[in-house]
Amino acid sequence: MKKFALGILVMLLATGITFAQVDRSKLPASGPAPEIKIGEAETFTLANGLKVFVVKNTKLPRVSFTLVFERDPILEGDKAGLTTFIGDMMMGGTKNRTKDQLDQEIDFIGASLSASATSVSVSSLKKHQGKVLELMADVLFNPVFPQPELDKLKKQSLTGLATTKDDPQAISSRLSRAVLYGKNHPYGESQTEQTTKNITLDDVKAYYQTYFKPNIAYLAIVGDIDKAEAQKVVNQYFGAWKKGVVPTFTYPMPVRAAKQAVALVDRSSSVQSVIDVTQPVAMKIGDADYISSRLLNQILGGGSASRLFMNLREDKGFTYGAYSSIDADKLVGTISASASVRSEVTDSAVYEFVYEIKNLVDKGVTQEELDKAKAELAGSFGRSLEQPGTVANFALNTARYNLPKDYYATYLQKLNAYTVADINATAKRLIEPDKFIITTVGNGAEIKEKLAQFGEVVEYDIMGEPAKQLVAEADMTAEKVLENYLNAIGGATQVAAIQTAKISMDANVMGTALTIAFVYDSQNGRYGQKLSIAGNVMQKTTLANGKGSMSVQGNSMEMTPAQLAEAQLNSYLFPEAVYKANGYTVTLDGLKDVDGKPAYKVVIATASGAKLTNYYAQDSGLKIKYENPASGDTYYGDYQAKNGVLLPMSWTIKSPQIPVPLEAKVTSLELNVPVTEGDIN
Amino acid sequence: MKKIILLSLLLGWIILPLAAQTKIEFKEFTLDNGLHVIMHQDNTTPIVVTSVLYHVGSKNENPERTGFAHFFEHLMFEGSENIDRGQYMNIIQSRGGTLNAYTSNDITYYYELLPSNELDLALYMESERMLHSKVDMTGVETQREVVKEERRQRYENQPYGTILPETLKRAYTTHPYQWAPIGSMDHLNAATIEEFQQFYKDFYVPNNATLTIAGDLDYAKTEAMVRKYFSEIPKGTKPVYRPKITEPKKTAEVRDIIYDNIQIPAVIQAYNLPARNHPDSYALSMLSTYLTGGKSSLMTKELVDKQQKALVVAAIPLELEDGGVFLMYGIANMGVDPKDLETEVDKLIKQVQDQGISDEEFTKLKNIMENNIVSGNSTVAGVAENLAEAKVIFGNTNYVNQVMDAYSKVTKEDIQRVAKTYMDLTGRVVLYYLPKSAKPVSE
Repeated sequence: MKKFALGILVMLLATGITFAQVDRSKLPASGPAPEIKIGEAETFTLANGLKVFVVKNTKLPRVSFTLVFERDPILEGDKAGLTTFIGDMMMGGTKNRTKDQLDQEIDFIGASLSASATSVSVSSLKKHQGKVLELMADVLFNPVFPQPELDKLKKQSLTGLATTKDDPQAISSRLSRAVLYGKNHPYGESQTEQTTKNITLDDVKAYYQTYFKPNIAYLAIVGDIDKAEAQKVVNQYFGAWKKGVVPTFTYPMPVRAAKQAVALVDRSSSVQSVIDVTQPVAMKIGDADYISSRLLNQILGGGSASRLFMNLREDKGFTYGAYSSIDADKLVGTISASASVRSEVTDSAVYEFVYEIKNLVDKGVTQEELDKAKAELAGSFGRSLEQPGTVANFALNTARYNLPKDYYATYLQKLNAYTVADINATAKRLIEPDKFIITTVGNGAEIKEKLAQFGEVVEYDIMGEPAKQLVAEADMTAEKVLENYLNAIGGATQVAAIQTAKISMDANVMGTALTIAFVYDSQNGRYGQKLSIAGNVMQKTTLANGKGSMSVQGNSMEMTPAQLAEAQLNSYLFPEAVYKANGYTVTLDGLKDVDGKPAYKVVIATASGAKLTNYYAQDSGLKIKYENPASGDTYYGDYQAKNGVLLPMSWTIKSPQIPVPLEAKVTSLELNVPVTEGDIN
Repeated sequence: MKKIILLSLLLGWIILPLAAQTKIEFKEFTLDNGLHVIMHQDNTTPIVVTSVLYHVGSKNENPERTGFAHFFEHLMFEGSENIDRGQYMNIIQSRGGTLNAYTSNDITYYYELLPSNELDLALYMESERMLHSKVDMTGVETQREVVKEERRQRYENQPYGTILPETLKRAYTTHPYQWAPIGSMDHLNAATIEEFQQFYKDFYVPNNATLTIAGDLDYAKTEAMVRKYFSEIPKGTKPVYRPKITEPKKTAEVRDIIYDNIQIPAVIQAYNLPARNHPDSYALSMLSTYLTGGKSSLMTKELVDKQQKALVVAAIPLELEDGGVFLMYGIANMGVDPKDLETEVDKLIKQVQDQGISDEEFTKLKNIMENNIVSGNSTVAGVAENLAEAKVIFGNTNYVNQVMDAYSKVTKEDIQRVAKTYMDLTGRVVLYYLPKSAKPVSE
């Protein structure tokens, strides 16, 4: 009866509304907040300790199984990077299936299967459940870890590492982690070439045998499956899995800086600075300040309406985007505010970051800001519930962080209960505005001095290690560096005796063999350079008779006077011998770190303004790097004596134009041989 | 070991044909002004998506004013008589929502995803857009700059970004599909404010729109709210322009070279497709999956893994109302001649045409299609879009429940047949994308 009456009422209301004049001048008010029903996860535990969560959702005939291992973070030390290989190694083949068979069988049922060092997960249509579980169990229990797979992955990883050395974002993240946590902390250490090379198949196997244990695992099952069926299949596939003793680790809590300071990586080629204003924070999911810190961060730098975005992008135009985060983590969390800004506004941008953080803590937030942040976070919480996996995540977190059973069920109530005073108190508790480290990756020559106003500036290298304090001897000059170089390779007389040279090098880029040939004829002012693939000339440069030309795949182009001047700078086998004679100016720009070696930086400029930069090792005097804004950086190594002169047999070229560093080895080198017209062209 | 795999394949065949789809329930009605409304109730999560599909895309444009439809997608966020400039997004976000829009050659689609107690707001906002959006010089000038940036970011500054416009230009000689939705900046610069206002009057009318609401809703209350906000919007005064142009069948291959800001050459092939609602569309979609969908697909396995001639290959059926294009592209591996890559691609096409596909591969295709169709309806936003397209493009909202049946009817022979019929080497477009540095100096 009551229901019927209600129905009539609704109809009356509905009809009434239809005929009412719509007042379009005001935004419609929000209706009563809907009840957010969060599905329940059912749980059970196997005798071997595997904890299972089942979230039944029959909306679609799909099912997913996600296995997560909960272990303490590991300090990998001289094997840093080991854990990044585990997932792909698990997928590298099993006792029953080669990698190709595994790929084909997964594709065949339209399923997905993936693994990492702390997870294995599958998803598919319900009707393929048996098959994906069989594949999942095969990957989990029978991996064979083929050596060639590890070799391939290590090679890919080394290529990846090489690219991260040129990536300012990657350098910034390594730097921040290193200064916040130190290199002897799982979150502070970094994978290097050496630690990657140290990783062996035994390490992979030992990791697998130690950590892939049911007693530290959670299995989340989501989709068209009920608890009874879940129990049956989990017992069938994971019941015989043996327990094991898994080591635990503790680490000292990182301490904040005593006062504000700047950590700088000098990257002379940068046109932008990557700024990260950061400090560690003890914060994990479920802490008293956890939810209020979400609101606080949303206001400071959580999106395109936040204070940082409005100030640094909308108002000042320093950057494409400025954001902040307050990360929660079981071990230690991080507060971070960051942006990439134009070099010339680096100090102004840091000033605004420091101002916004201090202002937030000192003056607090407004009611309007808080209301908006609540609406944004509640909206995104509500939307996330559409994915059944969210409920499984809630159940997982509830177990992992020992949360009250109704933590997520009452999440929105808790969110909405916060007042301005609460948020301001949270800000004061979590943030210490005068104890931030400001990490910056950018052009030191342009920004270092200006950053000194924010605290002591300490320099780091691209791997996050403290930069060696390099100072050139007071009496060192560019002329002396060049003289030392000529002496180091055999002396001016020996060098002058070499009139012509033909050099051929081989290189390999992603499986393609390249040949690079150089011809030098200093007496006649001639120079030729060719790059060939499989005997076909792809690109060449020719200088002769005071003219220069470049050609790419057969299409030739005359050089402009400016290009010619620059090309001529490079056209000598030993340009150091002729800089003076040709009227170039040479300037010493201090002692720098080149791949761990102290080296003098010498800038050479022509009258027309073309510039290039060479680095000469402090100890040997040899030229170890050549920097050219157009063609990239070339590193020289493996010097060997030819005709009484030392010449580099190994060249490594890094350029934004090529995806991976090109490593070239000299295959033939002829000195003082006749050079013909044909050699040059 | 081999035996076990074979056995599982046999088991795979037994489960054919495809399972029935989970049925999507819906209710629909049409207002007197012609606005078609579709509602789908799903109370599992207290969110609701509100979308409006305007049946206008770049194909409805004046050839001298290309880019208008897409430009309107931007202009329609400028505000209305009651919504201040720039406030549209802010209002939705501060009520806990998110929103977006896109424009294709056939349609323009807007949607808001909000907590379900904000349905009133969403309907109000969309009705404001339909009733009296701001189409003035300030908005036009602002959005011209934004579209310029978008063009830079997505086409000019993006390696291979011009593939679609360059392909369409050559795949169609008469049909307005010959220009891409981004259109011409010159046309947008030349247009007067009156022309923009006229476009709004011509196409942003209720009789050219489909309103779809999906999620945590009550059918009766929702219908009442829709009537409240949308009934007063006047119907368009003249029939909506829809081009009735048949693209003639090409009799010769069109071949060209594009010099772009790229390092690695690419080969593009395009074959004209039948109308989107043509029965062969299903087999063509399966064909594209057979060729390049997934690690174990024919071309990926052969050209990327084994021969390593390509870094990546992809076959994408760009399905359009009046007949789109089957677009294939391959990016050559370092040092591989594009001609060499094209020859290998052609060999594999010929292989499908001559030999068809194996039973095993056919089963795999059906499994993948089934997974995709089921997953396509996993969110209310996805369901709303599928419902609106079913109504507008296929003329039948219940089409959403018939897609799986349509795929079930495709046979192994159909896939070979459509490969032969549509992948016609004499009527195709072939483009080579080469680095600008390779461009002859004389050009």
